[in-house]
Amino acid sequence: MRFHRLAVWLLIGLAGVSLAAVLAPGASYSRQDREQPFAAASPSHPAGTDALGRDRLVRTAAALVLSLAGASAAAALTTAAAAGVGASAAFATGAGRWLILLFCDIFLALPWLFLLMMVRSALPLTTSPARSAAVTFLILAALGWPACARAVYSGVLELKNADWMLQARAAGLRRSQTLLHVVPNLLPLLLPQFLVSVPAFVIAEANLGALGLGIGEPLPSWGGMLLELDNSAMLLQTRWVYFPVVLLILVLVLMEAILVEA
Amino acid sequence: MHFVRCSVICAVAMQFAVLGTSCAGQVAPRLPGELVWTIGYDPKTFDPAKVDDIDAETVRYLTSGVLLRFDRLTQKVEPSLAQSWSVSPDGKTVMFKLRAGLRFSDGSSLTSRDAAWSIRRVLLPATGAPVADEFISPGNVTVESPDSSTVIVHLPQRVIGIDKVFDEIAIEPADRPSEGRITSGPFVVSEYRRSQFVRLRRNPHYYERDSSGVVLPYATGVRLDILNNTEQEARLFLRGEYDLIDHLPPDYFEMLSKQAGSMARDLGPSLNTEQMWFNQSPASPLPAWEREWFQDRAFRVAVSQAIRRDDLARIAYLGHATPAYSFISPSNSLWYNPNLSAPHTDVAAARSALSLAGFRWNGSKLADAAGHPIQFSILINAGNAARQKMATLIQQDLAALGMEVNVVALDFPALIERLMHTQDYEACLLGLENVDPEPNAMMNVWLSSSPNHQWDPSEKTPATPWEAEIDREMNRQATSLNDTVRKQAVARVQQIVADQQPFIYLVYPNTLVAISPRLQGVEPALLEPELVWNVERLRLQGSQ
Repeated sequence: MRFHRLAVWLLIGLAGVSLAAVLAPGASYSRQDREQPFAAASPSHPAGTDALGRDRLVRTAAALVLSLAGASAAAALTTAAAAGVGASAAFATGAGRWLILLFCDIFLALPWLFLLMMVRSALPLTTSPARSAAVTFLILAALGWPACARAVYSGVLELKNADWMLQARAAGLRRSQTLLHVVPNLLPLLLPQFLVSVPAFVIAEANLGALGLGIGEPLPSWGGMLLELDNSAMLLQTRWVYFPVVLLILVLVLMEAILVEA
Repeated sequence: MHFVRCSVICAVAMQFAVLGTSCAGQVAPRLPGELVWTIGYDPKTFDPAKVDDIDAETVRYLTSGVLLRFDRLTQKVEPSLAQSWSVSPDGKTVMFKLRAGLRFSDGSSLTSRDAAWSIRRVLLPATGAPVADEFISPGNVTVESPDSSTVIVHLPQRVIGIDKVFDEIAIEPADRPSEGRITSGPFVVSEYRRSQFVRLRRNPHYYERDSSGVVLPYATGVRLDILNNTEQEARLFLRGEYDLIDHLPPDYFEMLSKQAGSMARDLGPSLNTEQMWFNQSPASPLPAWEREWFQDRAFRVAVSQAIRRDDLARIAYLGHATPAYSFISPSNSLWYNPNLSAPHTDVAAARSALSLAGFRWNGSKLADAAGHPIQFSILINAGNAARQKMATLIQQDLAALGMEVNVVALDFPALIERLMHTQDYEACLLGLENVDPEPNAMMNVWLSSSPNHQWDPSEKTPATPWEAEIDREMNRQATSLNDTVRKQAVARVQQIVADQQPFIYLVYPNTLVAISPRLQGVEPALLEPELVWNVERLRLQGSQ
């Protein structure tokens, strides 16, 4: 329990420090200091600079904030969608339920990575990096709900048939009021689903970035920064190229710790 | 919860699987005296007449015997299977006299009948040989072999540099095309394993000898590993598995310079150019106002003036490139125009030119006279680090003019689809590989009617007076017999292009190579194949 709390505070602290680094006066993730490409760590650039002379600390911090914010928003959306679809299936009858579950199964069977790549490459060329980042996370949210909806469906069914629910129904609770009592009891199920989705979306975005289809320049993304590791020539220039991956692993480990307790 | 943990760990592992391509390479064992290097992909064909890709071209170069060889170092045409040749004064007849005692690799005699058959085969439309186009009207070319050592080619019209075309025509046994298994060149295809390697063995009947009378080639064979991974190629080169790397990206060149010292060599500016251009095609689905920007010379010149080419060369290419202002590289000294007047970096001049052309600033953002904000995207091909960096640098350079630029990386097929078919793009940043220093080879880029006239492909008539002038000058250089006239015409085209900036030239990337100290006889040239153009004289130290 203590480690769980520590993980939560560490993650919040990391996000807070990153936000501060991004919003600090004079900080810019896109400004190119062309006289200092691949600069070593210094007071002006605590984690050095990248190949174009951009501050590596600010870029990594911005990637962390962007990734966590985007993934959290996408996870919230996907969890809400899953709650809606799962509960609808559980409350539907006969063909309605069958159709909703079939829809979920079809979504589950889709090769989501290729779908994601297709949708991303079909975006208009003039889509700004910020908008394309938002669209990327929206697509992730749109594709991430079916597995979660299946879990919600089972949970709602269990709640519907629970002894206390039967007792409430017998005592006169109307069918339309049932949902009001089910939703608060679903929270222990939805919270882990939300927490599961966040690291999954962080990784999905990083994967897209590594495939060259992630967030466009000059916005920083973890995937784009991890691409540098593919190049041993780059690794020789500066060891700071490991910085984003170390941070990514740290964030994932902290999320793992939170998940285990949840 | 275990599922969650597994999925996250698996995803991280997959991430590294995508990134970690540096697994130990498994290479075939090297045979004694064999030279080994890589080609990027499987050759699409081994038929020398049908070669249309760089990897098949490498195999053709190593295996084919040709009547005349274009010396990559001296840039002069030299006799090869032909002992001598002559071109008639009207340029319509080329006569070759073959060497005596020529043999194919299977021991059979090579006569003028084989040479005539090989040339005719290349000219046949059914063969689909790309080199046939260089005869201008290949259907009207006739070939005869009056005796066993004479070949006469009759052309319907003079073709400038016709002798160089025969460097690309492999002489094969008449009526027995063998896809490189029977050749008259230094090597013969002996083994091909898809996605692994192509193995060539020495042709025991190759005609050439060195000055001491030793039969060439020196090497017993060549193995071309099929590998499109610079990371792995560099590691295997350092381990001594490969004898050379012919096209190194700048970051790997720096790495090899640090780890292997003099093995890495910068040969200076290549003939290739990196350039960007705007889509001016009326057939494109762009809004009319956007096309108007791109068709406006002042807009293009302002963009060119805002780009800091020195930074592109220094940062994107780590100093291994030269700022470019023309389609002719300074390495091509014969055709380069040193007196070219081109717009150099001058942001203040760019701003005032834009202002004069009716563009206005709303705060720091630029807009046209109708108030449309100047926003456009630059397409690049995904996976090219130097181009990605250049595009990002240009993005910031143009931000100084108030232009908002998106950099969009697409995989190559998607990029080509937009450039060649849908024309649904605004600007593009790509490179052009020039394998031939002769400007005639660039006719397909400059003639306004050409589908490769990228900024406005396949114009029915030249869209502007300056494009009409380029057409005239290019045709003048293609048909004139006078070298001075040709040079004047090419210099004029360079000046028009510098004035109008249909292509905004950025840099000439340097040719970066790595050569093992064990490999002897290498004389690097700027033309393809840079390191192995004299392959018959290459050998490994210590081999017989």
